[in-house]
Amino acid sequence: MDHHQHRRRLYNTHVKLLAFDLLSLLQTPSHSSSDPISFSRKGALLSRAETVGTVTSRELKPSKFLKFTIDDGTGCVGCVLWLNHLASPYFARRSPSDVRLIAEAANRFAAEIRLGVVARVRGRITSYRGTVQITVSDVVVERDPNAETLHWLECMNLARKCYDASGL
Amino acid sequence: MASSAIKSGTLVSLQDIYLSSPFFKQGASLRVTGKLQEYSVETAVAIVVDGNANLKINTQHLRDLSFRVGSFYQFIGELLIQHDNEAILQARVGRNVDGIDLNLYHQSLQLLRKFQADHLSTT
Repeated sequence: MDHHQHRRRLYNTHVKLLAFDLLSLLQTPSHSSSDPISFSRKGALLSRAETVGTVTSRELKPSKFLKFTIDDGTGCVGCVLWLNHLASPYFARRSPSDVRLIAEAANRFAAEIRLGVVARVRGRITSYRGTVQITVSDVVVERDPNAETLHWLECMNLARKCYDASGL
Repeated sequence: MASSAIKSGTLVSLQDIYLSSPFFKQGASLRVTGKLQEYSVETAVAIVVDGNANLKINTQHLRDLSFRVGSFYQFIGELLIQHDNEAILQARVGRNVDGIDLNLYHQSLQLLRKFQADHLSTT
């Protein structure tokens, strides 16, 4: 694997990072118009993340977005779930039935995000006012009371055995 | 963004909350887990226990949570230390965690603290 490939080896995976780790990613301005900021951890470029924790805040702007906070015990990750698919010009180019399905899924996720539930959230790593956040693509509410504990163990294991590995 | 003002509840065991502990601070944001020993509908004050440690929880801001003595609960909130040095957690969120493996939880918590300390010392 050459240096370029090595830097991008985690790029298309949802990295499972603890909040304190996710919030300390290095942010660098990039030349791409779709992703104006690139995120990296120990030299590896990242674009997607998964987090699991308790929902501790929720701010809904109907038909626009739901902003919420996931607290995993090591930090709070801000999340934004867009709910503007039917009005957004970005989605106008796509098939109306696909857009409707995406919009329905987003509304379902928004209804599941309630204060105090434990949610597993996946999405793109983005930045808002200089702070790392997740632009949500899917949400699963965890029923197993051990889900967070198992997520911590998985994050620690992956960091040590996979994400931190230099491989070069 | 409103969420940036929300503080993370530091993960603690009930045994970690005592007078000279670093977690025993006015306004400290904590996450605690324990078995419900008592609950008063009048005051909305709950008492949770873990081994020989216990803590009072003010649950007046919580909705949609039913309290059953003997069940396990987890709360995130701020510690209020009263004049007599008695602590009470002002809960922001709470949930029932019946079925939690507390042994695994406490062991994982120790690993997590070490992992975090190691990570912060290398960055």
